[in-house]
Amino acid sequence: MGTAIEFDLNTALQLWRERLGQSPQFKTENLNELESHVRDSVVQLQSKGLSSEESFLIATRRAGTPAQLEPEFAKVNRNPLNQILHGVILIFFALGCWFLWALLHFPQMMERASQGRPLPAFTRFIVDLCLDHSFIAVPPVLAAVYCAYIWIRKANQGCSWIGFFAVTMATLFLLTLQILVALLLPLIDFMNHSVLK
Amino acid sequence: MLTKELVAASTVPLVLSVLTEGENYGYALIQRVRELSAGKIEWTEGMLYPVLHWMEKEQLIESEWREAETGRKRKYYRLRKEGRKALRKEKQQWMSVHETLTKLWEPQSSLI
Repeated sequence: MGTAIEFDLNTALQLWRERLGQSPQFKTENLNELESHVRDSVVQLQSKGLSSEESFLIATRRAGTPAQLEPEFAKVNRNPLNQILHGVILIFFALGCWFLWALLHFPQMMERASQGRPLPAFTRFIVDLCLDHSFIAVPPVLAAVYCAYIWIRKANQGCSWIGFFAVTMATLFLLTLQILVALLLPLIDFMNHSVLK
Repeated sequence: MLTKELVAASTVPLVLSVLTEGENYGYALIQRVRELSAGKIEWTEGMLYPVLHWMEKEQLIESEWREAETGRKRKYYRLRKEGRKALRKEKQQWMSVHETLTKLWEPQSSLI
């Protein structure tokens, strides 16, 4: 004979609450109100002769599953700050890319000033890719498409501005690194050439 | 049983109407609607709360956490002036649908 584990309403409610609380869509106040609702419902069902376990199961079932409740709470708890921050980061990222694009005109100017002396291969490659093939516009366009998706969709789950900030800043850092090398190479080349002369 | 669409459309006027009887908390609101509709209007109970919070944001109702006679805390909702205005509008609209359908159905009720 196995021993039946005694049902404890408070523990069951705590576990049910924790399961809902895993979703960021529920504020503590929402969970308090839902818990108060389930407790009322349990009391009502117990008065009809059901055990506390049966009452708990029916009450939580009537309250709704996390999958049913989550999108509804997400609509009212929508935080506009996340969307505003996505916009600010996008502007900063686009300005950063535009600044890098402007910097890339220097090697071309140097090439013209040095009367036909060719640019180093890496610099040539970066200038061709970013200016002639407009590669530098790709990351900001992708970021803008992602932001548009964040702004228009209804639910607001799991797309924090922190992730977007990290990805855009890492991209900007990598682009800056390549472009700095591309800018420094013709300068070093120019200095070497002057010394040799 | 009402369709999902009709339940969604009627929630706000139902809540506003029940609150004209006096302030109340979520669970009791649901019980009152169930009792009045003889079980024909069944909400997924937890879904009422986001609607109540939306109505609060729209300033139709206001809420307050208070200790009930059981010793537990409950959130009580009550109507605001804007809510009464909204209810008057809702009432006009639902009554015009009701009157139109009644006029259409009365003479030929045996055909439906």
